[in-house]
Amino acid sequence: MYFGQRLTRREDDKFLKGRGRFVDDIEPAGTAHIAFVRSPHAHARIRGIDAAPARALPGVLRVLTAADWQAAGLGALTCVHPMPFSDGRPMNEELRPALASGKVHHVGDVVAAVVAEDRYAALDGADAVAVDYEALPAVTDIARSLDEDAPVLHQRFGSNLVFEIERGDRAATAAVFDAAHHVVALTLDTHRVAGCPLEPRAYLSRFDEATEDITLWATSQTPHYLRRWLAKYALGVPEHKLRVISPDVGGGFGLKTHFAVEVSTVVWASILLGRPVKWTSTRAEALMSDAQARDHHTRARMAFDRDGRILALEVDTIAALGAYLSNFAPSIPGNSYPQTVTGLYTTPNLHLRVRGAYTNTVPIDAYRGSGRPEATFVNERLLENGARELGIDVAEIRRRNLIPAEAFPYTTPVGRAYDCGDPPALFDKLLEIAGYEGLRAEQRRLGDRGVRMGIGIACFLDKSGTGSSRNLASRGGLHGGYESAIVRIHSDGRATVFVGSHSHGQGHDTTFCQIAADRLGLPIEDIALVEGDTGSIPFGNGTWGSRSLSVGGVAIMQAADRVIDKARRLAAHMLECAEEDLLYENAVFSVRGTDRLLGFADVADAAYHGAVLPADGSMEPGLEETVFYEPPDTNDPQAMHLAVVLVEPRSGKVTVRDYFTADDCGNIVNPLIVEGQVVGGLAQGLGQALMERVVYDGGAAGQLFSGTLMDYALPRASDMPGVRMTFQETPAPSNPLGVKGGSETGTIGAPAAIGNAVVDALWDLGVRHVRQPFTPDAVWHSLEDAAG
Amino acid sequence: MHPYRYHRPGSLAEAEEVLAGDGDPRPLAGGMSLIPVMKHRLAAPSDLVDLAAIGGLTGITVEPATLGIRAMTRHAAVAASPSVRERIPALAALAGGIGDPLVRNRGTIGGSLANNDPAACYPSAVLALDAEIVTAGRRIPADNFFLGLFETALEPGELIVEVRFPVPAAASYRKFPNPASRFSVVGVFVARLADGAVRVAVTGAGPCVFRVKAFERALAASFAPGALADLSVAADGLTSDIHGSAAYRAHLIGVLAEDAVADCA
Ligand SMILES: Cc1cc2nc3c(=O)[nH]c(=O)nc-3n(C[C@H](O)[C@H](O)[C@H](O)COP(=O)(O)OP(=O)(O)OC[C@H]3O[C@@H](n4cnc5c(N)ncnc54)[C@H](O)[C@@H]3O)c2cc1C
Repeated sequence: MYFGQRLTRREDDKFLKGRGRFVDDIEPAGTAHIAFVRSPHAHARIRGIDAAPARALPGVLRVLTAADWQAAGLGALTCVHPMPFSDGRPMNEELRPALASGKVHHVGDVVAAVVAEDRYAALDGADAVAVDYEALPAVTDIARSLDEDAPVLHQRFGSNLVFEIERGDRAATAAVFDAAHHVVALTLDTHRVAGCPLEPRAYLSRFDEATEDITLWATSQTPHYLRRWLAKYALGVPEHKLRVISPDVGGGFGLKTHFAVEVSTVVWASILLGRPVKWTSTRAEALMSDAQARDHHTRARMAFDRDGRILALEVDTIAALGAYLSNFAPSIPGNSYPQTVTGLYTTPNLHLRVRGAYTNTVPIDAYRGSGRPEATFVNERLLENGARELGIDVAEIRRRNLIPAEAFPYTTPVGRAYDCGDPPALFDKLLEIAGYEGLRAEQRRLGDRGVRMGIGIACFLDKSGTGSSRNLASRGGLHGGYESAIVRIHSDGRATVFVGSHSHGQGHDTTFCQIAADRLGLPIEDIALVEGDTGSIPFGNGTWGSRSLSVGGVAIMQAADRVIDKARRLAAHMLECAEEDLLYENAVFSVRGTDRLLGFADVADAAYHGAVLPADGSMEPGLEETVFYEPPDTNDPQAMHLAVVLVEPRSGKVTVRDYFTADDCGNIVNPLIVEGQVVGGLAQGLGQALMERVVYDGGAAGQLFSGTLMDYALPRASDMPGVRMTFQETPAPSNPLGVKGGSETGTIGAPAAIGNAVVDALWDLGVRHVRQPFTPDAVWHSLEDAAG
Repeated sequence: MHPYRYHRPGSLAEAEEVLAGDGDPRPLAGGMSLIPVMKHRLAAPSDLVDLAAIGGLTGITVEPATLGIRAMTRHAAVAASPSVRERIPALAALAGGIGDPLVRNRGTIGGSLANNDPAACYPSAVLALDAEIVTAGRRIPADNFFLGLFETALEPGELIVEVRFPVPAAASYRKFPNPASRFSVVGVFVARLADGAVRVAVTGAGPCVFRVKAFERALAASFAPGALADLSVAADGLTSDIHGSAAYRAHLIGVLAEDAVADCA
């Protein structure tokens, strides 16, 4: 059995030796390069574009603007997850334009594209395009986006409102608050962050003039989506003439799922010029064009009884969606956020209002955790403040509120059912590895010496798997939730597995082949995995929402099982026995109670030779199976974090000293990989909590201040605390592998756990909240405010 | 990056000749500041004059009361130098805390001072230690060298060849790093010179490195952290940016100065 083994990742060897093959490594002869002219304004009218000076430059092949796009009759990028108003009206939808026309709406908005013989000529050309702008006042601050006097981005909607939804019961919740023993109210903003994968986005499109086939190499987590979107929505090219290849990809975290603004222009230019065209993002472009994340302004209240039981939660959020709607954007505050906001507690009453809003900022979309970090921050910060105000220990108050194991499947006040779990047991495991009582004693000892230590906890729910397609559609989705796989046995008995998901750091080559090897009874060395090529893989929904294993993994398992079923039938025929008499072990069929054997490779050989198949034609030659697996439901991973911080009140500096995690992500195929995913997510969660922040000037100019990595602070190895992990494996009921998503909990819990720890360290000084991220400056200002 | 001509002169005279030529020639030292701005197409020099092959521009010389550091000496070399560590440990520590290993292995003291980034570390050491900037033709006292945001007393084409640091009685540098770049959000260099004078120089907090005379007077009277207890720096005119408000920076100057004085004890 490979299932459950800590295999080191097979793919790492090539990456560690620099032998990965990324989009930018590929450069066919005659490749032209594209550079984009980007708006320096957050909001401006385009009075005119003069491309003549650019066209006159040596090496410049073509300059493209919105006028060309419209003249060519091209379509639009798309939003595949709309979110209607609660009363059923459609949302106010403004899609991201490939090339801005009329107005620009954020710094970095694309105004023109220059195609040239090389990158330098393209950049010179882009500099030479003269755009006449009339600057308009901008709004970048989400808290101000719906004010009466806020500049409106898209006039036809009359305001910046995209949608407004309410969940739960307003009147019942208000009544509970009125009668409650204790109420905590806080403003709980989650700031905007950028995804920052190591490899920036890149696209290379080649148009073959002989066949009129287009091959697009793209940094994509979802190559089939990209092909469908380009074909159906943007360019109108036939799908069978477009092949999307996503080779090695260096990180994605969500933002390589989205229909990015540049890609359709790259493909279009290659068709126009009849030659390969390439664009590789710089880091500065990434920070003004890659979809960004979070950016919520929230006021929330929690009501308690005298024993600290949560009676009700009330949440009022304005969620930024950026200047235009990116693919999945509305569903993040519209679905993920409300569905997880009561977390792992038995909160009986909820009222939640979410208003999505436009601001003059880079479009928002899914980024590791999407919606759950914002939700968890709200729920967990309120709970710990409540505990302290009621004089109840923060661990004890959780024991009183966690959903008990016997309550599963558990239905929340928004009607969502959580599948399975045992939160109280998971919580005990967390406190045990952390040595909670010992930490509290240490906190008191250090406190006596003037050292401020804080302990913070977060308990929360992830939400993965995303299926079924019907479920997704009922929540507005215009895309599927299934996954495809082919298991192809070659005539020598070795296998290639094709799957519609895409690994860009998750270790699929190892995990997926562990599953296939177990089901096929083959050594893992005899199995190869192919992902990321629409030319060889059936339509897949790609990798996002922690869906790959619980959906794609099951597709592989089922295809492998069907292969073995057929091999067994053929083996029975060849050995002239009944199928029930066959044993299959270590790639050998044997007839029970005899010494007759047949190797799997011999069966494969026979299947491809074809001659020994049953003469009645009851069996087709070949040995390969295709599965499209539609999951019946999503799954609900759960996790709990405990952070220990040291806060220096003089400077406001926060150091995360220790970190403890307890995850229930169902059955674990490869603990090593899951641990890596937990720590990797944690680094990003810690980054969000302590330092990462996209900053706009907030005034009428709307300039972007965090435009390079000299100002956008990513965490480094030295910022990471020691991490101790523990796991509880409650098998997911909705899939036969019993697996759940396991890669997003780090980003979900860290801001809440670290935030709670910082407040714990400073509570006696009067600090009740610190705005995120908990930078020294922010902590110091909270202390100043508390001191009055 | 825009096209430029690359030169690698073997002598100062040759370098100066190219730098006196037409266009917009610029000296190139470690390239840690200049190359990134060129890549962002914010600077487009016509010629780059690489100083790396000029003899005698690297190294550290020890005199009884002075330490001379040649302009092309890398930060990593200053950090590791036994002479610097022994005579002005605060300077070695400062160099060892610049940026990251890549930056320290390329960046030079001359380049840092000529650039005069408002958040750079070296300017505070030069100012607090009352060092002298030596160019081919003259010696410029620290107090006259740093003129403003990215602005120095250097004439166009004038090259720094050495920086001469008087060995102090005690000194310490305390820096609060920008979490992204590791430049200083605020850096405070406190020095008690051999003659007993106390100088306090602050970087990162304003458009250009500056001295805090009120701190210096108080510390001259009593060189102890407590001497600063009732003093503060006004936030007016200090930098407010995404890493810290002016008020926070003003506060940090006091905190870091106290810590630096305590280090000197
Ligand atoms: C990621 C990063 C982090 C950094 N962190 C810090 C930090 O924490 N603290 C800090 O102080 N600095 C920091 N720096 C800046 C670094 O120290 C640079 O090395 C320094 O500012 C410039 O030195 P250089 O030798 O690279 O000069 P270059 O980049 O080559 O040149 C800089 C400027 O000086 C001119 N110049 C160079 N040498 C001479 C000379 N001898 N005479 C006259 N003019 C000359 C050049 O023409 C150019 O205008 C950081 C830089 C980076 C990229």
